[in-house]
Amino acid sequence: MPTAALPITDRFQEVLDRLSTKSIEDYYNPYQEFTWPDRLDENRMWMSPELLTPYGTPLFDELGEETLRRLSKWESVNFYSLNVHGIRELLIEVVRRIHMPGFEVPSDFFHHFIGEENEHMWFFAEFCRRYGNKIYPSTAMRADSDWEPEVENFLVFARILFFEELVDHYNTRMAQDETLCDTIRQVNRIHHQDESRHIAFGRELVSLLHTRMRETVGPERLAEVEAYLKRYVVFSLNSLYNPHVYRDAGIPDPLALRNALLEDDRRREIERRSIRKPLAFFLKTGIFSDDVLPAV
Amino acid sequence: MTDGLDQVKAWIVKRHPDRDDIAPDLDLIENRLIDSLSFVEFVFLLEQVSGRSIDMDTLEVDSIRTLEAIDRTFFKARVS
Repeated sequence: MPTAALPITDRFQEVLDRLSTKSIEDYYNPYQEFTWPDRLDENRMWMSPELLTPYGTPLFDELGEETLRRLSKWESVNFYSLNVHGIRELLIEVVRRIHMPGFEVPSDFFHHFIGEENEHMWFFAEFCRRYGNKIYPSTAMRADSDWEPEVENFLVFARILFFEELVDHYNTRMAQDETLCDTIRQVNRIHHQDESRHIAFGRELVSLLHTRMRETVGPERLAEVEAYLKRYVVFSLNSLYNPHVYRDAGIPDPLALRNALLEDDRRREIERRSIRKPLAFFLKTGIFSDDVLPAV
Repeated sequence: MTDGLDQVKAWIVKRHPDRDDIAPDLDLIENRLIDSLSFVEFVFLLEQVSGRSIDMDTLEVDSIRTLEAIDRTFFKARVS
């Protein structure tokens, strides 16, 4: 994991200073920030309809209003559960790198990042436990990593960035959706505010790590990295189609629904909209040579 | 070999066209036939073909490491 120093630019340093200052100025106590009602109204949607996985297909209407309401509850608990596990895993990786050779310059911001992410993990977990009485289990298998250190460092932060941008698409929409209750809007709004800093930092860091990686590995390895990252994009999108969620929503054949939605091209168009920003970034920086994503 | 195991094997072969067969004792993880990104799809497939719910928090990776192990864990009739 230890590698040569990052090719720091003035721009990177300026962004780091600005974001660190903002983290200090905007600091809030999450344990006092939220008012958690005892229960949320089960007769309202818990997630914006256009964010539900069957949206845009005939299956959406076929499920009926009552099932969609139940689905919105369990898909929102799944979304926050994915956040819990995603943050848990990214914290492990950032903690492994803070104060290690190669990460001297961003280490100060890493302290803010770790603190803020820990707090996000807490409020997402709190939501799941209070209103869903569970956190859906992680779907990750402990990884099989035999990439070179430069590649591994790049992939860790590229995965974090993609995950944050995907989540932010959902946060932005739910924070603005006036049909959702205040608690749901507040959780999404606060996460979006903090994540805008993390995404700005992530884009700068991933660009630098990509530059450093390109100097150390050949074109064949770069193609493997691109293929892996594209599979990660599809893996992340597919984690939203959770058969355990469909079962909890009372859908009779959960795996059949997942398979039908994964095979429906109308869903691919909707997914493209949710990943428009990170995909454009990966293309602009040359991390992706095209925008073709693999099938499952 | 059970029908269920045949389906599992077919699923893996479809994703790895360079292989036309998979030995029962081949380590699927070490040989990268299942990796961290395909793991969840694989578990959902096992749930579907075995008809059993799988708890990912307690699933031992060794129980899906080879076709033999998968057969033993998910498909062989258990004597009660």
